[in-house]
Amino acid sequence: VRPVAAAPEGLSEKVAESVKKAEETCSGDAVSGECVAAWDEVEELSAAASHARDKKKESDPLETYCKDNPETDECRTYDN
Amino acid sequence: MAAVCTVYTVQSLNSTPTKTHLGFHQKQVVFYSTGKRISSSRRCSNITCSAADGTKTVVIGLAADSGCGKSTFMRRLTSVFGGAAEPPKGGNPDSNTLISDTTTVICLDDYHSLDRTGRKQKGVTALDPRANDFDLMYEQVKAIKDGVAVEKPIYNHVTGLLDPPELIKPPKILVIEGLHPMYDERVRDLLDFSIYLDISNEVKFAWKIQRDMAERGHSLESIKASIEARKPDFDAYIDPQKQYADAVIEVLPTQLIPGDNEGKVLRVRLIMKEGVKYFSPVYLFDEGSTISWIPCGRKLTCSYPGIKFFYGPDAYFSHEVSVLEMDGQFDRLDELIYVESHLSNISTKFYGEVTQQMLKHNDFPGSNNGTGLFQTIVGLKIRDLYEQIISSRVGAPLEATKA
Repeated sequence: VRPVAAAPEGLSEKVAESVKKAEETCSGDAVSGECVAAWDEVEELSAAASHARDKKKESDPLETYCKDNPETDECRTYDN
Repeated sequence: MAAVCTVYTVQSLNSTPTKTHLGFHQKQVVFYSTGKRISSSRRCSNITCSAADGTKTVVIGLAADSGCGKSTFMRRLTSVFGGAAEPPKGGNPDSNTLISDTTTVICLDDYHSLDRTGRKQKGVTALDPRANDFDLMYEQVKAIKDGVAVEKPIYNHVTGLLDPPELIKPPKILVIEGLHPMYDERVRDLLDFSIYLDISNEVKFAWKIQRDMAERGHSLESIKASIEARKPDFDAYIDPQKQYADAVIEVLPTQLIPGDNEGKVLRVRLIMKEGVKYFSPVYLFDEGSTISWIPCGRKLTCSYPGIKFFYGPDAYFSHEVSVLEMDGQFDRLDELIYVESHLSNISTKFYGEVTQQMLKHNDFPGSNNGTGLFQTIVGLKIRDLYEQIISSRVGAPLEATKA
């Protein structure tokens, strides 16, 4: 499965960086506090990246356009 | 000794507000008395003292690990109350708070006492109680419950820093979600209802693969290593909270497909504590019996692997509970309405409300299996609980003023 869309704002880079750091930190001692904290950071960033991706995916191009241009033909809606 | 008193209008107690009250909703007048009785002022104002049982906001706690569907649950819950939940307008763009007309959801990560760098230096995870400020959590949740607005810190998940605080006004319903809503006894006692999302290790692994494999830098090994590294702290500090929950949603691998570990077909159990005030557990066919039910047959066609329900009494951490279980997944809507019509005590306002809620959000994860169904049902039970608490207060507003 390949990415639908990468997480924005450089979060993807941050995740990759934190994974690399965690692997390095844990190469010496796999149960140390530093190692566990490093993997915890990976989890936190991965969760943030996934939330950001979801938010991005949810936006419908027409809906986004209509927020800014409610008076155009393709956006006008009347309740009755 | 001074008693803290809060003035608010009857509007907040009524489900149908009249126009004249609208402007008063957000206004909180707080004053101090020296213990003398305060008489109720004319018109629609009501006075309650927090020293008496004059709590106003209903507080719900939701505990789950990160990446276990808390946000989906929150969206389902706020949808039951109507209106979309959105981040506070014009504030910090990285705020974790969600606000709708009735509900405010705050993320307990905001009570981290150590930021990301601090935790790394000390070698502790966010799961560790030492990384969290439970005193502040207790004080602020208590204040909101008593109708007082607070300045709550913001933990920024992108930068890993503690940002300047944001103002949280007392809502009708406050949901505190995160890793430790039931860890501290004082906070636990403030909760009117508590839920724990219990995701089994196999399913957690499968979900995180789905979530992270697309992300650069991650591999099967790194996902596994991250889960393994956090597990000791998770087992020590997060998992034990489930014994205090009024409802636990357990997510397990299916038993319908032998050896399945994809995490797509799920066996989901809703464990409901008996004897909780304002909460009567859901049942299937006959309350208190033990029932195994396969709805597929002449009346309902199900594709592989089908659907299987279970209902029965059980014991959970030496509490008496009722368990409702669903294994398998829905292919079509008519299956859900068929199931809904056989469940009792689901606190719906009209026939088909569960199905309608599920249909409304058919794009949310879990909409075709027991996670979505049980989250929706718990949402309806919380609405019911909220309405009962409010009407019980309306019934005795005068008693509440007698401090």
